[in-house]
Amino acid sequence: MILLALLCIPLAGAGLLAMAPPRTARALHGVTALLTAVTAVALAAAVARPVTVTALDGLLRTDALSGWLTGLIGLVAGLAAIEAPRYVAPATPRPFYPLFHLFVFTMLLAVNTDDVGVLWVAVEGTTLASMFLVNFERTRASLEASYKYLLICSVGIALAFIGTVLMYFADVQQFGDLPHALRWTSLIDVAPALPARVIELAFVFIVVGYGTKAGLAPMHTWLPDAHSEAPAPVSALMSGVLLSVGVYAVVRFKAVVDVAAGPLFAQHILLGLGLLSMALAAAFLWTPTNYKRMLAYSSVEHIGIVCLGLGFGGRWGLTGAVLHIANHALAKSVLFLVAGRIRAAYGSTAIADVRGLLAVMPRTGRVFLAAMLALMGVPPFGLFVSEVMIFGAGFQAGLGSVAVVGLVLLVAAFGGLLRALHLMLYGDAPVPRPIEGLGRSPALPFAAALLLLILTGLVWPPGLAATLDRIAQVLR
Amino acid sequence: MTAATNLLAFLGLVATLVVVWRQSWRGRLASFVAQSVMLAALAAVIGLLARRPALLLVAVLVVVFKAWLIPRILARIAAGMPRRSGGPGRSVGVSVLLAGALVVAAYAVLLPVTRDASLPTAGAVPLAFAMALIGLYLCVTGRDALGHILGFLVFENGIFGLALLATYGLPGLIEAGVFLDVLVLVLLMEGVVVQMRREHDSVEVDRLRELRG
Repeated sequence: MILLALLCIPLAGAGLLAMAPPRTARALHGVTALLTAVTAVALAAAVARPVTVTALDGLLRTDALSGWLTGLIGLVAGLAAIEAPRYVAPATPRPFYPLFHLFVFTMLLAVNTDDVGVLWVAVEGTTLASMFLVNFERTRASLEASYKYLLICSVGIALAFIGTVLMYFADVQQFGDLPHALRWTSLIDVAPALPARVIELAFVFIVVGYGTKAGLAPMHTWLPDAHSEAPAPVSALMSGVLLSVGVYAVVRFKAVVDVAAGPLFAQHILLGLGLLSMALAAAFLWTPTNYKRMLAYSSVEHIGIVCLGLGFGGRWGLTGAVLHIANHALAKSVLFLVAGRIRAAYGSTAIADVRGLLAVMPRTGRVFLAAMLALMGVPPFGLFVSEVMIFGAGFQAGLGSVAVVGLVLLVAAFGGLLRALHLMLYGDAPVPRPIEGLGRSPALPFAAALLLLILTGLVWPPGLAATLDRIAQVLR
Repeated sequence: MTAATNLLAFLGLVATLVVVWRQSWRGRLASFVAQSVMLAALAAVIGLLARRPALLLVAVLVVVFKAWLIPRILARIAAGMPRRSGGPGRSVGVSVLLAGALVVAAYAVLLPVTRDASLPTAGAVPLAFAMALIGLYLCVTGRDALGHILGFLVFENGIFGLALLATYGLPGLIEAGVFLDVLVLVLLMEGVVVQMRREHDSVEVDRLRELRG
């Protein structure tokens, strides 16, 4: 019931918003976002106990892993929805609000279905729903970004379809035309008997395909453009949760491959792509010139770290990766939303144009500083803990050399981010007097997100450890 | 059954190669339509011989969507285009040669699949995969937006053929989702092209060079 409600709310909201008169749009948008966030968190809490929620004859299914992603999508979407009205002209709320909620719907569907075919349709749907949002400002640059986004992600996702077809082929070949042959739960059940070579081939297509959506190098080329050109709430959604949905899809198939072909195959691929993503991101982050692109490349870096965690495996690697997804989503969505405010005040996304942020916008500057420190993995924020878990898992798994290379890349990115942060926060302000854009109450959601990050970094709330362990069980 | 599906898949591959070979936009579009018709025939033949009535419906959908509706949208997008355009940025000879190499690669990559396959249609699976690879090649090397879209559609057709030959098609819900996806994608592309033309007076992707780094 709650699962159906979760999917119906954003879908119905999008439908109503597409027809609603402009003056009611903002309120309707707020109600839809609030209900979505509440339902998502409720569902996440429901599956934090050892139960699985299903609907529509098992087509929709929420286990611990789905619940984790669902809660995250709800929170990040809520955060982004609060800032969205700043970017939408009151007279023309279309098509922004309807597409925003449609985008959220497709992501929720992707993580809450048991059918890998529906998963594919939903992930392709995320591209189609968000493409217009990327091009919302309709400038030359945003046109280019949305074109690249649409083309690269469509090709990528089509490759993932080949992988899905090959999985289906392997299943049907062994067991005949069963009614639920494309269900993930049945794939996992029959995985030991599936032909290893076909499943390996399928997984290569899956990783390249969904890895494109996840922003893994070398398929990441759409990401910096789309993230930097989209309006801030959309960037926050893309970087915070869309990339995580891509990782989620890879992880589901990884579980099948691990059973069918042994754990080493997926491990090698994930470690290789993870390191490559971190290296490419570190190379760019060393001398960033545009702070939105800097945040985008940092997402490539963190998705690389998550892949390392999944590749290292074991209890620490898997739980670390899952925790890191959430930590990164919270920190990065706050950063993109704050970056939108900085851009509105300074009228530029060039790091060179932003000087004296702490003097010009004291409150915004402090939130930006705190979130950047969190992103860089400074204690007491949660990213420090999840990174320690991931790299610790690397040493534990006897893959110390991989972990060391990863750490070196992490430090390189740290240095570049620190330099950019310093340039932006201090220096002579281009405007004489403070122009604070962030009131006390609009700052509260940001503070709440940062508080959550401190919680995952300092004192784990009761039940978090058990939930993470149950997610690791799903993945094994 | 095997002979019929092999022949149809082979004809589909020939149509795909013609897309690579032709230079004029109308010729390439016509070859794409021919490829789609071959795939529709393939679906119909498998539907009849393997007694899968649902595949007959799929065949009708392929004809309606890919041989009629989408080509019409593409023609609308292409109205006012220069007559010769959009091919891969190489000479025709090199492109056709590369496409031939992709056919060989398709057989090599799919060895684990064809070795295990027991369906009578399995022999033609690499042919469909070759169509997909050639489409991907067209899509990646296309010089303008139309070249990209056409390449993508050829690619998508190849994947459809692959699913058809390897598994007799995916469950109906998924197939419906795929059709819808392709249609929405083409419509979105039309929107992009319209805006591109207004901004740049051209659909050549070389003009898109604002974003770097």
